[in-house]
Amino acid sequence: MSSSVFRTVNWMRLAIALALGLAGAARAKDIEVGLIAPMSGPYARQGQVMKMAADMAIDTINRQGGIKSIGGAKLKLSVFDAGDSVERAKNAAQRMVADAPNLVVATGAYLSSFTLAVTEVTERAALPVLTFSYSDLITSRGFKHVFQTSATGVQQAEGSLPALMEMAEKASGKRPKTIGIVMDNTAASVSFVKPMREQQLTKLGLKLVVDETFTPPLANATPLIQKVRSAKPDLLILLPTVIADAKLLLEKMNEFGLGRGKLPTIANGAAILDPDLRNNMNIDQLEGVMAVVANWTTNAQKDFVAEVKQKTKEPWPTQHFVTTYGDVLIFAAALEAAGKAERGVVANALHRMNLSGGAANFFPGNGKLRFEENGRRADASLLIVQWQKGVPITVYPAKDALAPPVWPKQ
Amino acid sequence: MSVDARAGLRRQLTLIALFAAAYALLTALSTHSYYQLILTVVPIWAVMGLAWNLLSGYSGFVSFGHAAFFGLGAYFVALAQIHWGLSPWIGIPCAGIIGGIAGLVVGIPTFRLRGHYFALAMLAYPLALLYVFEWLGYQELALPMQREAPAAFMQFADHRLHAWLALALLIAAMLLTLWVERSRFGVALVAIREDEAAAEAAGIRTIAWKLKAITLSGAMAGVAGGFYAVVLLVVTPPAVFGMLVSAQALIVAMFGGVGTVWGPVIGAVTLVPLSEVLHAQLGDVIPGIQGVVYGVAIVAVILLAPEGVFWKVRDMRARRGPRIPAPAAAPAAANANPPKTLLLDGDVILTVENVSKAFGGLQAVRSVSLEVKRGDILGIIGPNGAGKTTLFNLLNGFISPDQGRVLLEGKDVVGCAPYEICRLGMGRTFQVVRPFRRMSVHDNVIVGAYVSAASAGQAEAQAHAALARVGLLEDACRPAGELSNKQLRLLEIARALAGEPKIMLLDETLAGLGAGEVEEVIALVRQLAEEGRTIVIIEHTMQAMVRLVQRFVVLNEGAVLTQGQPADITRNDAVIDAYLGRKWRAANA
Repeated sequence: MSSSVFRTVNWMRLAIALALGLAGAARAKDIEVGLIAPMSGPYARQGQVMKMAADMAIDTINRQGGIKSIGGAKLKLSVFDAGDSVERAKNAAQRMVADAPNLVVATGAYLSSFTLAVTEVTERAALPVLTFSYSDLITSRGFKHVFQTSATGVQQAEGSLPALMEMAEKASGKRPKTIGIVMDNTAASVSFVKPMREQQLTKLGLKLVVDETFTPPLANATPLIQKVRSAKPDLLILLPTVIADAKLLLEKMNEFGLGRGKLPTIANGAAILDPDLRNNMNIDQLEGVMAVVANWTTNAQKDFVAEVKQKTKEPWPTQHFVTTYGDVLIFAAALEAAGKAERGVVANALHRMNLSGGAANFFPGNGKLRFEENGRRADASLLIVQWQKGVPITVYPAKDALAPPVWPKQ
Repeated sequence: MSVDARAGLRRQLTLIALFAAAYALLTALSTHSYYQLILTVVPIWAVMGLAWNLLSGYSGFVSFGHAAFFGLGAYFVALAQIHWGLSPWIGIPCAGIIGGIAGLVVGIPTFRLRGHYFALAMLAYPLALLYVFEWLGYQELALPMQREAPAAFMQFADHRLHAWLALALLIAAMLLTLWVERSRFGVALVAIREDEAAAEAAGIRTIAWKLKAITLSGAMAGVAGGFYAVVLLVVTPPAVFGMLVSAQALIVAMFGGVGTVWGPVIGAVTLVPLSEVLHAQLGDVIPGIQGVVYGVAIVAVILLAPEGVFWKVRDMRARRGPRIPAPAAAPAAANANPPKTLLLDGDVILTVENVSKAFGGLQAVRSVSLEVKRGDILGIIGPNGAGKTTLFNLLNGFISPDQGRVLLEGKDVVGCAPYEICRLGMGRTFQVVRPFRRMSVHDNVIVGAYVSAASAGQAEAQAHAALARVGLLEDACRPAGELSNKQLRLLEIARALAGEPKIMLLDETLAGLGAGEVEEVIALVRQLAEEGRTIVIIEHTMQAMVRLVQRFVVLNEGAVLTQGQPADITRNDAVIDAYLGRKWRAANA
């Protein structure tokens, strides 16, 4: 086709689109975007949260006129249940690429192992996928259609302690000198403290004064917390994986007068910030507990929290809510830039993306949103969130913080 | 192999060929990549079910831990490709070898346990391995994508090739299972499942067969796991060592039918797609409902067909159709069990010297000495709890004496396993009959025949002869569970007889028989003795015993009270006081 004919056809298309748009009788074809996440099984709650976020974001975009460069096309969400196992997640991905040939882009799949299996399928189908899973492996396989919005597992493990030190110094005016670790022996906890033990403690001049590892389930937290109290570390890394263990440990800390932020306590990951915890334990005991997370609500998002509370009846948006909401904004930005609802074009748009504001406000970093060659988000950084008056609030870094940290003045 | 068996095998092979052709065709026609994936996953779980079935279905040793072999196979294929660039074409056969070795290593200590304890111990292996692989830092492995030569690494663009490959593995596993089922291997395993002690007494070296079974089973599971890694492309400890993997193997086999080639295949072909379809259709509509429907479906089938779909269907067809025909004429090799030894007066075949056994504080057998001459019929009598059956258990190796010697044709057999003593020429029956109930009469007897038979043909001939000898030839194809009490007694004699023993220990063979039946069995025992076999019999029916035996040994409280000719024994005051009672004295005065 010669370029002039091509141009004519394009003009005609535009004219038809305009005519239809003006007539209001019909509109541009909906653009199908996917969410593949556990909708059943033990992780279903997280999948539901992600769906709520995606629905809310799509609703917002569609109300604002859809994708303008594609004739105001509306986004339409297709949900695929990744279930409770790697095999199910892979099956769901295969179903997604086979049953939904018009799908342009997708997000998922919660657990790293699910995301790994899902992206093996989507990569072969050239379907761009955004993910918030942490595993470094996701973006070290040489894939061209996977985009990781979180700081990776290694980045998180390496970045957590320096971030904490910086925050402690700013909050209390003094650098912590001693540290305690109380952890269970699950893989997540072990890999989280590995870089600390191996290099960071010495590098940061921290003395490890309590170092206790237990096997879940914990029967009695007293001996552990007694050791913490007598050693008086400036900072405590508390890494339970099971909620019941967290509950026991925090109850004992409160009993021993170490709770409510008197001993700065840091947990790993967003599990300790989940609204569900309110059903499982006395929320007062969480007061002051901090977590290092890859995403949360920040002051860049303005009225987002209020809107979420009003629309979803959720008490606060969790990191998966924020992230999935942000992912849909990224979809919209990429589609807007691509001007075409086609996988390859959208993937290219994602690779070339360099946003400030908008979707960039939903991911911690330097205020810009850009992906590196391997699909990792450039300058992805961490947030520190603290339980304050029964709600987890971002307290670090200062530019994102919604409140200053509560830290004992020593 | 009999004509019947050969026809049965031909039928099975035809069915497998038809199944393979249909499955391959279905795969060829499928254009949807998701269905192609499901068509690939189904045979993998069927192979896994067959692996489980080979051990647990045939031998009855229930394993909750087949994920151990599956996971090792999967991790080997993944790690070998990541670190050494080894193609799964080589990696998967290696995974089979690794699974087999793991089976052997696991089997050696674990077969010391039985029943629930075995099942629980098996559960521990995959759980331990799960943590080991997490600790090793293998939380997540991805098989590297091969953009250059995908086919060399089984990364086909056309997923139907995966499905065909999976089908090929399944057919191989089915043929292997069929071979096991139809050989001495399968007969031995089923005998172990039905009654391990009786199998051991019938000359089966149970531990050897069990180890062979778990090795083969582990190898099959290893191959399934290796291929699973190739299909899934991601290997994580919970995905391959998780409880669900072991459970899936067990569920497909139990659902479809245990102890048959077709059971796990029926289970996998039904359940895997069912669960997937439910998941795909309902998963995002009513989250979790698919689990409920799946669970209800399984419960319903278990209630309606407790032994699995295969057996239910077979039973229904058997009720409608004609019974399995009786076996054809006797094989040529059959002879009427001619006496193997000539009757030599005074030749001692069995010597028991000063044998004692205590169970804690109870002295069950104390310093028993006796001699049995070749061709003798020796009766052992005594009140309940006198130690008669314990003495038999000491003789055939079920238990070891605390002291004393047992010489069989001059060879000390103390410390030998029951199967070894059986091979030296001692057969036995049990006080409470211990047939292999789910096996046919013929198969029950052939178990005994393998002890002394050099070939399958000879075993067949010996079994046939033994069945003819006791008059059960007509019933050869019936399941042993259907027999009457007398027939069961005869079956046990035939099973012992088939191994052509030199000496037979008969434990209360006449118990529970009617008067007429007693006469028949006595006539048989007497004939066996006349043919040159030595017989030691425990019996309470004094009237019968007096006419049968040549010599009595009377046990009381574990010790020999006296021994001698029937006429002397029945008049012995001590015997009457201890055992026969005053009524006897009054009646025979």
